[in-house]
Amino acid sequence: MLASAIPGASMAERVIAAPFEDVWAVVSALEEEFGTFEPDMRHLTIVSGRGSERLVAKARSRYGMRARFDVELRPGWCWMQSRFLIVGVAAAAVPGGTLVAQTGGVRVPGRAALVPLGVRAAGEKALARLEARVVRR
Amino acid sequence: MSADLVRAAQGGDTMAMNDLLSELTPYLGRICGPIALDNGPDAVQEALISIFRNLGSLRDPPAFRGWARAIAVREAVRIARRQHHAVELAELPSRQDVESAVDIRDVLERLSPEHRAVLVLRDLEGLPEEEAARLLHVPEGTVKSRLHRARRSFRKAWQS
Repeated sequence: MLASAIPGASMAERVIAAPFEDVWAVVSALEEEFGTFEPDMRHLTIVSGRGSERLVAKARSRYGMRARFDVELRPGWCWMQSRFLIVGVAAAAVPGGTLVAQTGGVRVPGRAALVPLGVRAAGEKALARLEARVVRR
Repeated sequence: MSADLVRAAQGGDTMAMNDLLSELTPYLGRICGPIALDNGPDAVQEALISIFRNLGSLRDPPAFRGWARAIAVREAVRIARRQHHAVELAELPSRQDVESAVDIRDVLERLSPEHRAVLVLRDLEGLPEEEAARLLHVPEGTVKSRLHRARRSFRKAWQS
């Protein structure tokens, strides 16, 4: 479902041995927790729609620029899209824990397809960090 | 488009990619527009895809700008060639013709995509003619003789 939303997307998956609520508490805390497992997004600020399913967030990079993201956030689904980037995280309860999937990458304006650039490896690392974060809490 | 930014994007830093795209997209537009004319946006897209697909293979991040520029020119010429049915002029219009043209496009449209690319590389990017000719596989002598008279007029029109 996540990867089928965009041609060219690669996806990382992981089963985390923790209840869905615990995993999603970390994923959905965009300002406080999201950057702990997606370090590129560690300077994420919600600018409108806090508490709703549709938010606007701003991320600042270490190189001085900003990106404005439209965010769709509901239990099990987090989709962030800027002019040039897509980050998607989905989760579902499964026997033994929570299945989490992450996709994303660079979006070329005017094209639906993503250009994967180290995305799968980055996604797998992000999910490993998410697991560590959930376990620590 | 600093070497550090390019290295970070090569390493998969999504925000660095975002920054690179933010800087690169308008730059490629300035390169591709005058070469591919109506197909400029398509050329920019193709160039961006090619650049990001091949970013990992760029060994020399400080050379990123020139590398991206060469890809953009190649894509713009390729796309313009698909559409190019004009009979190429043996001689460029005189400066008076250029200055009295309603739009610089009138003149651009009568040049081959390769020659439009030479003008872009030389007058917008400041490359020496021989380097521009080499990048485009156009004989240098041809470039010099055909483009000499149009040089100032084009520069004035593009930079005004």
